[in-house]
Amino acid sequence: MNNQKQIWQEQYPHNIWLVGVRGRLDQSLTPQLNETLTNLLANGRYRLMLDFNGVTYINSGGLRCLIIAWRKAKTENGDVVLFGLDNRILEVFTMIGFDKIFRIVNTSLEAQAALA
Amino acid sequence: MSMGNKHTLTISSHYDHIRQVCEFIATGAQQAGLDEDAIFQVELACDEACTNIIEHAYGEEGIGDIKATWEANPQSFTITLHDNGRSFNPDAVKDPTFIKPDTTPNPDDLQVGGLGIHFMRNLMDEVHYQFDEKQGNSLIMVKYIE
Repeated sequence: MNNQKQIWQEQYPHNIWLVGVRGRLDQSLTPQLNETLTNLLANGRYRLMLDFNGVTYINSGGLRCLIIAWRKAKTENGDVVLFGLDNRILEVFTMIGFDKIFRIVNTSLEAQAALA
Repeated sequence: MSMGNKHTLTISSHYDHIRQVCEFIATGAQQAGLDEDAIFQVELACDEACTNIIEHAYGEEGIGDIKATWEANPQSFTITLHDNGRSFNPDAVKDPTFIKPDTTPNPDDLQVGGLGIHFMRNLMDEVHYQFDEKQGNSLIMVKYIE
């Protein structure tokens, strides 16, 4: 892998936080994402948008990490909105009904609007 | 490539090593002529199967091996995953309840391994399981080549 960060976070207006993910969301990367999401949620950041533009792969462990964050955010009247999923990743979500659980949009602007 | 030949990779049962199996299978699938979407699907099915072997057949990391084999013919790409853990029959595992429409998902349901099996059944065209007292578990997954 290159030197670019694979997980990063940025603050937006209205206490919305973006978490970017780049690479394969598998056993090697999911622990980092889990740590980032857990820290944000523990600090009262419940409006999260996840940039999936750089995600090339996801397995059940990655999905488990997302659903745990989603449930925590929901209990605090927040949400986890996903954007930038390519068709293969979206198909994985659809296969297990996660497309009905998560709000999935195309762009960060749409994600912000969904969370504001 | 020579059709019909078997290609084998054996790893020790650590989560960190599953990626090697995924890459090995993906390379084979590419050689067999599967398209990019199908390669993604067999890779995910293998990933979930290996995770289940460590979680359910062995019960923990590092106490046995996983032997991955692929073979191809013009019609199909076949993966066999073999382990010496406890008998674990995926057919006995029900799909997790949260997959049902209009059911509120509970993250606890995601711990049971049912999600991985759901993926394997949906991503592959055939999934078979064999157990032998001496030989252990064999999971055979087939993807048809279109």
